[in-house]
Amino acid sequence: MAKKSFFKLFSGIVAVMLVLTACGGNNTNTNSTTNGNNNGGNSQAEGEAGGNQANPVTISIAYATGDPATKQAIETTIDAFTDAYPHVTIKNISETTSESYLDWLKTKEAVGEFPDLVEMRDTKIFADAGKLAELPEELHSLFTFLPEYDGKYYNAPLTGNNPNGIIYSKKAYADAGVTELPKTYDEFLEIQEKLLASGISPIVVGGKDLFHMGFWINYFLISNVYSSDPDWNSKRIAQTASFTDAAPVQAITDYKELFTKYVDKGWLSTGDNQTASMLVTGKAAQLYSGPWMFGQIEEADPGFEFGFYALPSRDGSVIVNGLPTLAGWSLSAEASKDPDKVEAITAFIKFFFDPEQYGPYLETVNGIPTTVQEVTYETNEQMQEVLRLMSDESVPKSMMINQWYGENAIPPQFRNWFYKLLQELVVSDGDVADYMKQADTEYDSNVKANLQ
Amino acid sequence: MNASTSSIKRKQWWRSYAIWFILPAFLLYCIFVMVPTFSSIYLSFTSWDGISDNIRYIGFENFKEIWNSPRVHNALTNTIIVAIALVILENVVALLLAILVDQVRWLKNLFRSIFYFPVLMSGIIMGFIWMIILNYNFGVVNQLLDLVGLSALKTDWLGNPDYALLSIILSTVWKASGYYMIIYLAGLQGIPQELLEAASIDGAGKWKQFWHVTFPLLAGATTVCVMLSMINSLKLFDQIAVMTNGGPGFATETLTYIIYKVAFGEGRQGFGTALAIVLFILIMIISLIQIRLLRKREVQM
Repeated sequence: MAKKSFFKLFSGIVAVMLVLTACGGNNTNTNSTTNGNNNGGNSQAEGEAGGNQANPVTISIAYATGDPATKQAIETTIDAFTDAYPHVTIKNISETTSESYLDWLKTKEAVGEFPDLVEMRDTKIFADAGKLAELPEELHSLFTFLPEYDGKYYNAPLTGNNPNGIIYSKKAYADAGVTELPKTYDEFLEIQEKLLASGISPIVVGGKDLFHMGFWINYFLISNVYSSDPDWNSKRIAQTASFTDAAPVQAITDYKELFTKYVDKGWLSTGDNQTASMLVTGKAAQLYSGPWMFGQIEEADPGFEFGFYALPSRDGSVIVNGLPTLAGWSLSAEASKDPDKVEAITAFIKFFFDPEQYGPYLETVNGIPTTVQEVTYETNEQMQEVLRLMSDESVPKSMMINQWYGENAIPPQFRNWFYKLLQELVVSDGDVADYMKQADTEYDSNVKANLQ
Repeated sequence: MNASTSSIKRKQWWRSYAIWFILPAFLLYCIFVMVPTFSSIYLSFTSWDGISDNIRYIGFENFKEIWNSPRVHNALTNTIIVAIALVILENVVALLLAILVDQVRWLKNLFRSIFYFPVLMSGIIMGFIWMIILNYNFGVVNQLLDLVGLSALKTDWLGNPDYALLSIILSTVWKASGYYMIIYLAGLQGIPQELLEAASIDGAGKWKQFWHVTFPLLAGATTVCVMLSMINSLKLFDQIAVMTNGGPGFATETLTYIIYKVAFGEGRQGFGTALAIVLFILIMIISLIQIRLLRKREVQM
């Protein structure tokens, strides 16, 4: 009796569950049928195209979309590629978010949506975690130089590492009576005084975006620290160098002075994407950034006249960041297990760096070519200065604090913390030596935490 | 006899319908809430980076670091400031609004809707809007100040550490008060008119009526509102992430924000989880104390 009623109850519950799962199941059913249809359609199309085409394959792709010009240029290439290779479907999962590109990629990884082909800017983190595959052998010969990590090549560099420099409004310089570009940092400071006297805000900084802080901070670090000691980072890790040493303290003191005196007051609530309009509307006279801004500025006001120069250091020497970094298109370890995907990705990378696509891409993003094959594209006056700097052997090249790799790689979490610390230093008018002590402590505890 | 029925009952536990109705929800709850919660306790003792498969046990290192880190202390101070300021401001504003809309004669529904609208907006959208309003160069606030000739008062509202937290607090009050207003309004309408009439016959003025009749009778609503606003302000996150990103420097970092930043941004899931557990314990203690205190002053009718 008891048994019978148990079965009654049990079957009742099972019946209800079945009804409910049927509702849920419907969805998946429809999905799979549409998928089936799609596949059918594709293979049919290929059949019509004639020939033994490769299997239809879908690859997901992601890149940093912070800069509208770059985003546009890559989208154009993707469209052209899918036209040329109809059997490859490219799923572009890039999003423009308020978080940093690294945070966004980590989130994607965490939810299992790590892209098959990804513009990688933090190779170390993802390679160490085993998420990246090496670049296929046949692609190596495309490039003049391949960045190497642990003896392996993970990245197909999109462009050469862009040098930073002062982008200035010619009108503002003329109004302030500046006739000659500075040859030393002190001359540069004199120009700031003149600009201030002429009533314009001398420098706009997009400090709301932490990466923008990096331009200035690294100018000071490069010209004071890395210029004389490229291995400073590894010495810091070994604790034989300190942020409280004379060179870094000098760098940060200069930084603090410049930001306190000459930077536009609203710098902490100004985003990187507002800097171009600050410049063209005449609210500020200069911007310290890189060639990718040229396009944005021209778009904001085609008639705006501006120039570009590399900022010299105190002794008048010029050193720019421009060493190749560990960045570029990378394959995910997951995708490398599927030969169809590898083939499609290889085809895409070849297509991307083909002069026919690569030329217009470089022209839009104002990039420096990385390929062996020569690429010709139109450059403006400012871009010519950039290319001159890059090819000039007498201008030494360096890197930003977080771009060094191998022995010189800093703990990945340190960069953002350090930039924030330096913001605080300026707003709270802190003591440089004291803040550099904090930087030492944090650096050491980061190194320790990463060893655990 | 008695013993045998109870043994039958024990054998037939599955005959209780309640168990079968609870079971599916219970299983889901276990899988998606209980298991992650308890596994996070374990994670807080590790140095997991959130990506790699290698999870190492490091004992109390994370908690030691929390104890010693000035950044965490600063975040804790900010969390407390935000919580206290928000609870007081939100409730005062909400109560005032509730009394106002309760007494308004015409366009009653319009006013109620207007004050409620900001609640409907997501914190992120609201953050973006306020960020644009408060922008130094292009924002409405500073341009208005320029227009009326008060350029000297122009401030970088989100970039100046003295004002950034205040700006976040005020905009959150703007957003959240409408919600508590509705709760207070419901409370107000449950107060019998006779009591107020009796009080006014006894010669009590408007203020005395409010202080001795209305406010004590709103105690139930106050408990709910203070409780909710406390919890919401302790977990305030989206506005901070959008409006200041914890900046300038570390000026507006709160515990919730730092947990996110450390765990997801800096790749220290273990440390972030340890912080989350500290926050959990904090919220629990505060809530318990609060309920104790507020329950005491509720009046039964």
